[in-house]
Amino acid sequence: MRRVERQRLRVAFGLLGVVPVFLAGWLGHLQVRQGGSIERAELPPLPLVAATADRQGVRAEKVPAPRATIVDRHGALLALDREVYEVRARIAVPPSAAKTVGKLLDYLAGLTADLARAMVADPELSNRAAAEAAYREQFAALLGKPFDAQALLQRGDFAAEPPKSARQAVEVRLVGQVEALAVIEALRDLDARRPSLRLDFVRGHRRDYLEREATFGFVGHVETVWQEQADGGKVLATVGKCGLEALPAAVAASGRLLPFRNDGRGRPYFTGGDLGTPEPAVLYSTIDLDLQRAAIEELTRQAESPQREGKGSNPQWGALVLVEIATGDVLAAASWHRDAKSGSAASWTPYQSLFEPGSIVKPLVIAYAGELGKVDWDREYDCTPGGAEYRERIGALGRAKAVSDDHACGRLTPHGILINSSNIGATYLGLGLEREQWRDYMSYFGFGTSLGLALPGESKGGTNPRSFRSNIPLKQFRANSAVSFSFGYELQVTALQVARAYLRLLRGAASELRVVRGLQRGEEWQAQPISPAGEQLSPEVFERVRGALVDVVGEDPHATGALLRRQFLQDGIELHGLVAGKTGTAVSSVGTKDRGKVEVRNASFAGFLPADAPRWLAVGVLQRDDRGKFYGGAYAAPAVVRLLLQAQRSAERRLLQQEPGRGSDGQVRTAAITPVDSGWRQAAPGSTSRLGGR
Amino acid sequence: MKWLLAGLLFALAVGLAIGTAAIRAENNLLRHGVELRRRELTDRSVEYQRLVIERLREASPMRLAAAQWAILRAAEAHGGAEL
Repeated sequence: MRRVERQRLRVAFGLLGVVPVFLAGWLGHLQVRQGGSIERAELPPLPLVAATADRQGVRAEKVPAPRATIVDRHGALLALDREVYEVRARIAVPPSAAKTVGKLLDYLAGLTADLARAMVADPELSNRAAAEAAYREQFAALLGKPFDAQALLQRGDFAAEPPKSARQAVEVRLVGQVEALAVIEALRDLDARRPSLRLDFVRGHRRDYLEREATFGFVGHVETVWQEQADGGKVLATVGKCGLEALPAAVAASGRLLPFRNDGRGRPYFTGGDLGTPEPAVLYSTIDLDLQRAAIEELTRQAESPQREGKGSNPQWGALVLVEIATGDVLAAASWHRDAKSGSAASWTPYQSLFEPGSIVKPLVIAYAGELGKVDWDREYDCTPGGAEYRERIGALGRAKAVSDDHACGRLTPHGILINSSNIGATYLGLGLEREQWRDYMSYFGFGTSLGLALPGESKGGTNPRSFRSNIPLKQFRANSAVSFSFGYELQVTALQVARAYLRLLRGAASELRVVRGLQRGEEWQAQPISPAGEQLSPEVFERVRGALVDVVGEDPHATGALLRRQFLQDGIELHGLVAGKTGTAVSSVGTKDRGKVEVRNASFAGFLPADAPRWLAVGVLQRDDRGKFYGGAYAAPAVVRLLLQAQRSAERRLLQQEPGRGSDGQVRTAAITPVDSGWRQAAPGSTSRLGGR
Repeated sequence: MKWLLAGLLFALAVGLAIGTAAIRAENNLLRHGVELRRRELTDRSVEYQRLVIERLREASPMRLAAAQWAILRAAEAHGGAEL
């Protein structure tokens, strides 16, 4: 090789050697000297480091978990989540359209029209033209806002240069709850056709209620609200507002992330993994959908009868509850409102509306007093107002307001006191209780204490706060509170509380109501235990009270359920011996927002069936604010009895169909205790009465 | 000889570059296809859930009763002799 050639080679290789040195220097310049971070509006600065570059190459789509599916006791769907898309748009106006205001406005109008057309692509959509016009208006406002399109249009200078914002990409939440395939495909097609538009389909859920009218209060509803995050941001979250929806078990799990990688053009591609959505938990409620519908129908029919029959105005509200005695399961809990504007805004009356129970507590008072040995079942009490016994036992107390009955009762045994619903007779028996015993009576039957259902908005009611105040002299307590308690005054309850009180009377003192049977999470079944029955009334007391309640709906013309019996006899149904129960009518004063104190009448009935071996109990109450005649036996009782009969028919039908209670996934699930195995009458061996002193 | 070898090596390098690019392009196409298929599946899953709820609503006892009444009333309006 010649010397010149060698020199050329050296120069060539020397130059080649400079290249990596230059590249190393250049990279160092980029990474170190020009390194740092990019400032971003409303976001923390983006550090220009290798991890950022790696992160740009991957992407994760959040697949939210659905809220729990709520079903009735036989598996009928009541509430469930289904997947929908929320569509977000990223618009980068093309340079050709960002030259003048006119071109920008034309571009936005075209985009708006395209999007509106895509949104009405569903072939099943009725009134397409109106829907398209509405979408066009909605999108015009939405897309025009970031570009100040309205102001540009009003200025009218279409040849002018548009504002700088026209050259920046904007992101908007276009529409939520997109679910029809035709619409999704039309939007995806538009996304592919318009390079300046990128549509992101964010996965979310929509809550559906298949039996909305029947389950407003019981199942409740959800609301989507902005929630503060730990890092200071805000996210939209769906929360249960009331009913079963508000239970922690109904809350969705955390969901999962679906991994993606970005290709060279920034398009995400799926890298494998589970495509399916997380399975929802299944919340088995205790409600029986058929009976719930029946309860609503009966309550509505009864509540609307005054106006229908020209007998005054309809009540303000009503509640009807059906409970299975063996388990304490609430099978139906219906609300009725006269002035409610929407079902979701109205209160759930069985749980939230308080009323003075009146005479329906008399069996409870007499059973409690009987258990303490303070009732002589064979003695005849003189229930004549102003009679010798009255003057001695009630008149001597110095009570301002006399105790009276609806009709002259004469001499009555405790049995007669119950079937005639004598206030004077109940007062004689109630006055046998001491103040502490009255306090224990309230606790025994659960008045003023929570039902423990963990549902929001509960009204606990209870006695007047002054009733048990220690500075109230005993004589004053006996003259006022003890007398009032004896026939259901000076006490506020809900229909469900009355149901629990009767459940304790019939089943045992530890009985509680149940609204959830259990939760199925995947393979795991978490049962909500049935409350223990607890101590029970002595058989003698129980039989005395039960017998009286059977005769309330009997042949005695003075029985408060006699009219009810005659009504059903016309339809060929003999209630005596079939249904037992107690009527209640109370006159109270309640405060209202617009009318101040108003006198209301509460008609109520608590009944059970079959009368000789109770399996279901039902409580109905209607509150009326006019002065029309309104009695528990005539007004509340028919709905209660029809519901009880319906429960019996429904059970017979299910028995004939041999239809067992079903869990999810085809698994047959039977209750831990069968309805006929409640043991409601026999005290457990060795059990003692908390009350003692029989 | 050495120029021949150099030429072959150059041709191999070019071939490898073209081959790699082709494979990457094919991969990209397949990935895009998989992504489109995944989207279709998700979209159809959304549609399926919508249809399930729609059919359940249509089949509710209330709706069936209403539909039955509508048929009966329509028949009554058209003579009603068969009723």
